[in-house]
Amino acid sequence: MIRAPLSTTSVLDEAADSVRTVASPWAAVLILTSLPYRFAQVVFTERLLRLGADASRYVNYLSFLATLSMFAFVLSRWGRLVFARAVRLAIENGESPGREAWHIKPAVFLNYLYMSAFTELVSIATMVTCLASVCCTMLAGLAIGTAELNDHPSIVAPFRSVAKYRKTFRIVIALMLVFGCALAVAAINVGVAFGIGLWLAKSIQGWDAARWTLLLDSNNRRFMLVIIAGAVIAVEPFWIAAHVTFVRKTGAEQTGDDLRAWFEELRDA
Amino acid sequence: MAVIGGGKGSAGYAAPSMEGRTPSSARREIAGAGRTRASAPPYPYTRRMPPRYCVFHADRAAFAVCMSCAKTLCQECATQWDGIWHCAACLATKRGAVKRESHAAGWIFVTVASLLCLFLSAKFMVWSGALLAGLR
Repeated sequence: MIRAPLSTTSVLDEAADSVRTVASPWAAVLILTSLPYRFAQVVFTERLLRLGADASRYVNYLSFLATLSMFAFVLSRWGRLVFARAVRLAIENGESPGREAWHIKPAVFLNYLYMSAFTELVSIATMVTCLASVCCTMLAGLAIGTAELNDHPSIVAPFRSVAKYRKTFRIVIALMLVFGCALAVAAINVGVAFGIGLWLAKSIQGWDAARWTLLLDSNNRRFMLVIIAGAVIAVEPFWIAAHVTFVRKTGAEQTGDDLRAWFEELRDA
Repeated sequence: MAVIGGGKGSAGYAAPSMEGRTPSSARREIAGAGRTRASAPPYPYTRRMPPRYCVFHADRAAFAVCMSCAKTLCQECATQWDGIWHCAACLATKRGAVKRESHAAGWIFVTVASLLCLFLSAKFMVWSGALLAGLR
């Protein structure tokens, strides 16, 4: 499955192919496990924006919502790991994996949970500075890409695995830029999809169109947050697949697997 | 020094001069000289050990002794780890013990670190959120 030298475009091409291969049913597993976390984030942000300056007086309520969102976070990380494993198996075998994609080692999950919880913590703590959050997103991408390489629980090993890819970090930055643009495009698409759905639903007799028009209006803050969450969910499979492919291709380049694949292709030709 | 053969005396060698020597050192010298020339073993004060063989290969001479179970081992069966010879079974036991220990510590540390990060994330969500919402 390694077909081209390491570059941003080759990573994106092969990631798109991998997502197509594993979409059924593994993308659904990823989306289903991500939904609670994204909706918890939407609810938390919406309540926070509604409370405004009075938010500091409702700390207990907000803490409850934040704790719920952290429980959903753990579930979403498990879903991500299953999807990443499915992508990795698809890259190796060229076909959608079977039940073996479920077989996540507990140590791998724990290491990944630790790494992603750390990036989440840094990301939230530095929310005011947008640049730090972007760096954390890149770190989170490498964390999911390298997750399966850390099969012994360790505090340092996940960071070491990520640090190995510092020489090809420009590709990670390029991927970040591409997925930033993809997020904006996906948000527009999700918004348009809701608009088309509303327009089609208006043709149904007896349906309360006025109420839904108000709910799905761009002035409705909750609806806008749902659109952003929907865009993140739509882009997430490609983002994970791109990072898994990137790590796989970089590793193949280091071990000479890419050369072996190339020789095999030449021999077959 | 001692002169071997042809001298006066019943032992067949001349008594050495006692100048500058203690009686005990002189005795050792005499005894050593006599045995060296009288087809005695080259190291007079070490007892000759019976030949020992590998406990796993009876036809092979012993090369080392396992420091854990004291079995004699041939070159193939002996493995040096941390400067100490071990047999395969004892080495496996030691390695297993080391692995289990380090993994248990890893599990505990990573679990605690994950829970701490999640707890702090929830707290920071509220604090940062309240701060940003207040700034609006």
